Amino acid sequence: MAFEKDIEKAKEKAGKVKLFAHDIHGVLTPNNIFCDVEGRRRYAFWHMDGFGDLSLWANGIKVAFLDSTSIDGEGLYRARELKLDKYYYQVKDKVGKLKELTQELEISDDETSYIGCEVTDLGIMKKVGFAVATADAAEEVKEIADYITTAPGGRGPIRETCEFILNAMGRWEAWVEKVTKMGYK
Amino acid sequence: MIETDKAIELAKQVKFVILDIHGILTDNTLYYTDDGKKSECFSLADRIGCMALMEAGIGVAFLTSKISRADEQVGEIYNVPEDRLWGTGAKMAKLDEFEKETGLQDQDFCYVGDEMIDLGIMERVGFAVAPADGAVEAKGAAAYITKVGGGKGVVRETAQFILKAQGKWETFIQKISQSD
Repeated sequence: MAFEKDIEKAKEKAGKVKLFAHDIHGVLTPNNIFCDVEGRRRYAFWHMDGFGDLSLWANGIKVAFLDSTSIDGEGLYRARELKLDKYYYQVKDKVGKLKELTQELEISDDETSYIGCEVTDLGIMKKVGFAVATADAAEEVKEIADYITTAPGGRGPIRETCEFILNAMGRWEAWVEKVTKMGYK
Repeated sequence: MIETDKAIELAKQVKFVILDIHGILTDNTLYYTDDGKKSECFSLADRIGCMALMEAGIGVAFLTSKISRADEQVGEIYNVPEDRLWGTGAKMAKLDEFEKETGLQDQDFCYVGDEMIDLGIMERVGFAVAPADGAVEAKGAAAYITKVGGGKGVVRETAQFILKAQGKWETFIQKISQSD
């Protein structure tokens, strides 16, 4: 089913974001797991999603991993690599965690954003100001989202959302210029 | 739409779901390292599918010719009990045995398979499902063909179809979005 979203309204909501949150599987990854005959497991993360999160961070927007889907330590490893300080493991109650974070950062729900893919994300998606769904998210998730990325999970939906947010704030061009001249690390 | 109605009727009766592994939970690809170690890529959307079925009181089992260490890990991740990881080439005999043990009948089962080797069991069970990229023979025997291909959430979609037919999907969503 195709869901029509009002892009102008999405931009308006995205322009207010001060905290961006997401889970691990189905967003940073294509929602799959490689298992081998020796008992080892691998996970496929999209490299440039890390750049997306870092771009927000560098522009003063907090990024939080609300990890309820990791099987091993994969979410933590990725968060460490990105040097994110807001990583939460085995989050059973995402709405509760969001509330904690908004109190800590002294921001309102309107200033939060979340990108999800599964029905398990519906609670928090209804709560945040700017709710985003991946291209291959469950129908229920796409239905309530303010914006749907063209990328499916594991193919850069975070990178795309971060660009959308910074564009909505009118800060993307300046960020591109800065990275072009100076790099971002 | 008559066919969809028929699939819904058949799905209403499902009490137990048997899953073929290769081509269903995986996209059929086998990865080998240079020193011969094999791995496969399994869908994590199917973890939610299995969870939804079991929450609704519908049993889940894997059925494949041989259960590998990789399959065992996935069973654990999906919360499928160890004694329901069935590794046998004699799929029909396994179904006979399980029916005898539980009192369940052919029409109570859903079987999800993608190949002609699954035809015997697919023709026998009440609700046979094949993935979008399954073999022509398997799709021909299926009452429902998923929109997604193997390894992309076939079980997730099958579970949603069964639970919607049984009027249990909304309950699952409500439960899961409250506790999450």
